[in-house]
Amino acid sequence: MTDLAPPGGRRLDYPVSANARRGGLQAAQRRVGILMLLPAATAFVLIILYPFGQALGLSLFEDTLQSIQPTFIGLANFQDVLTSPETWQSFLLTAIYVGCSTGGTLVLGLGWALILNQPFRGRAAIRALTLLPWVVPSTVSAFIWAWIFNSRFGVINGVLLETGLIDVPQAWLSTPEGAMLAVVLTRIWRSIPLFMAFFLAGLQNVDGEQLDAARVDGANNFAILRDHLLPHLRPVLIVVVVLGVIGGLQDFDTIFALTGGGPVRATAVLSIEVYRKAFEQWDIGMASAIGVLWVATLLPPAFFYLRLLVKGR
Amino acid sequence: MTKITTLMATALAAGIFTIGAAQAADLSFMGYSYAEESAKPSVDRIIDGFTAKTNLTVEPIGTAFGDMQKTLFLRARSKTLPSVVQISERWLPMFSTLPGLVDYNDVFGKDYLAKTYAPEALAMGQVDGKQFGLPLMSGSIGMVANQAVLTKAGITDVPKTVEEFKADLIAIRDAVPNSVPYAMATKNNSDILVDFLVWEYTFGAHVIEPSGKVVVDSDASKQALAFLVDLMKERLVAPEIGRPDARRLVGQSAAAFYLDAPQSRTFLRSFSGQDKAFDVNIRPMQVPVVKEGDEPKSIQWAHLIISFAQSNPPTKDDANMQFVNYLGDDAVETQFPVEQSALPGTISARANPVVADDAYLTAWAQNNTHPLANEVGTWSNGGELTDILAEEVQSALLGQKTADEAITSMGQRMAGSMTKAGFPQ
Repeated sequence: MTDLAPPGGRRLDYPVSANARRGGLQAAQRRVGILMLLPAATAFVLIILYPFGQALGLSLFEDTLQSIQPTFIGLANFQDVLTSPETWQSFLLTAIYVGCSTGGTLVLGLGWALILNQPFRGRAAIRALTLLPWVVPSTVSAFIWAWIFNSRFGVINGVLLETGLIDVPQAWLSTPEGAMLAVVLTRIWRSIPLFMAFFLAGLQNVDGEQLDAARVDGANNFAILRDHLLPHLRPVLIVVVVLGVIGGLQDFDTIFALTGGGPVRATAVLSIEVYRKAFEQWDIGMASAIGVLWVATLLPPAFFYLRLLVKGR
Repeated sequence: MTKITTLMATALAAGIFTIGAAQAADLSFMGYSYAEESAKPSVDRIIDGFTAKTNLTVEPIGTAFGDMQKTLFLRARSKTLPSVVQISERWLPMFSTLPGLVDYNDVFGKDYLAKTYAPEALAMGQVDGKQFGLPLMSGSIGMVANQAVLTKAGITDVPKTVEEFKADLIAIRDAVPNSVPYAMATKNNSDILVDFLVWEYTFGAHVIEPSGKVVVDSDASKQALAFLVDLMKERLVAPEIGRPDARRLVGQSAAAFYLDAPQSRTFLRSFSGQDKAFDVNIRPMQVPVVKEGDEPKSIQWAHLIISFAQSNPPTKDDANMQFVNYLGDDAVETQFPVEQSALPGTISARANPVVADDAYLTAWAQNNTHPLANEVGTWSNGGELTDILAEEVQSALLGQKTADEAITSMGQRMAGSMTKAGFPQ
């Protein structure tokens, strides 16, 4: 009879190959897992972790174009940043931009998904066309909207002048409110397809019989939306809000191409402020400090999103 | 499979060969002219001429004007600086601390440079007595009028004083529908800076003294800004206009006046779609003065050539120094600057009939006799100062602050920035 005990191990009551490795199947799976994780982990370390670590380090130095050697100044950059009214203004503008664009996209994306969830002729074509703003590069979207809002050649002024609603062209992008509205609208226009796709997927899982029963019980459209659809879409809602907030916080190209952060500082959100400090004022230490704070604002929603993904709900 | 392997091997070999070829160039030349479609063939001709003369190869690197500072800054940090770089004269002080920057006095000798280059152009390349830049082309930032628009508004002569200027702008506004009478820069911080400085100087104001003391908070500054705010209120200037917009508007005869470098002619020819036929409408003029007898103001402007040492110490025999020397040759200086509608940097090229007989360049030089230095862009913290100035000017133009409030705030913010940069107020 074959001896079932592995060398130095306890006796097993099933056959074990002489080539079996220490730790068994679970350890082998773990090793394969680690191996498969390695490319992604390497990319993460090189592209995200290392630059972030470097930015974190630079935020502790006075490092400008003029510095031959960066000087360690501890937390002085953070002190300057946090005592600067401009930084707090950027935080406020970021909150307005993210809040308005996410809220606007949520309402319009849901509304559009509800419409596209109804059966009608040409629905598939409209669904496909709806994805266009998402496909168009963000900078191109920004330039399209810049032309729409342009004070001399823009469509909005053209229509208003033609209809006699205004006498002279309005410079929409030259008022703080107009500029913020323009960047928010552009962001909403770009994000609606993504939100709509999420909502549409959620709506297609709604039990039609449940809705029919509610209608038989006398529920109107608003009641069905409030009592049946929204509770059903709750997990999707949470995911899109978190994704919208993260995307809004990260946004740079739309705002930079459309307003450059102006007029004055009306749309200078955190991403624009980092760019200005680094590439207009050549202050890398200060730019890194703002960048670190910017990442800190991104961490809570990112953590929340990852938790949702891991928990699967 | 074999085919795929062969293709991959070929691609790899081609890649290696290309990298090898790029590395094999004797020097690299980074410039914004090379990134401009209209100027690129001329730069190629310069490089071909240099290679034919010296047998040395040049790797050209085109970078858009707006990205030039950023690119050079990032290259300095990654220790991949090119051998020779074309820069705007106002960036020179900012880049003067970059490691390896060549002082041309040490290479070519002060006397040779003084004999070769026009004195005021040569002066724009100096920082603390060192000759870090040599002028490829030079001139000034002055005012240009569109004769076609003036004629349409019944204006027979260009305005001499700010009072006449405003009266003409009103006439243009009323006679030419949907026009921007004066295409002043009201967006893009670096454009706003230049336009505002011209009016500052015109009203007798200054922003920062050579010692570093901020002096912008003055009555003259407030008058200058109030004048511009008034133009905005009267719809004689418009928001959302940067230098490229202004060139387009003037080129399309939708604006009558704007401030630019002499290169204006090249841009207006292009934007009008009429090429040289549009020259009759391009009229260089003096910036209007506050009262008759005042000297019209303009701002210094040049494209400079800076270099990074290829040997220690750098010598005339270095490939990049030979290239810099070639850029000062008549073959280049009587061709490239003229094509770009600018004055050459060398004395001999300026005396050449190609340049001397150019009526536009002559008129430009006559109208802008004593260009003043840019008082803001030349400081090490010029970027921050530019942002501050532009933000405050914009806030007044857009009605967020009064002219007085904006100037006071500008003074306070600039003083803070200068103190931080090591110039106590």
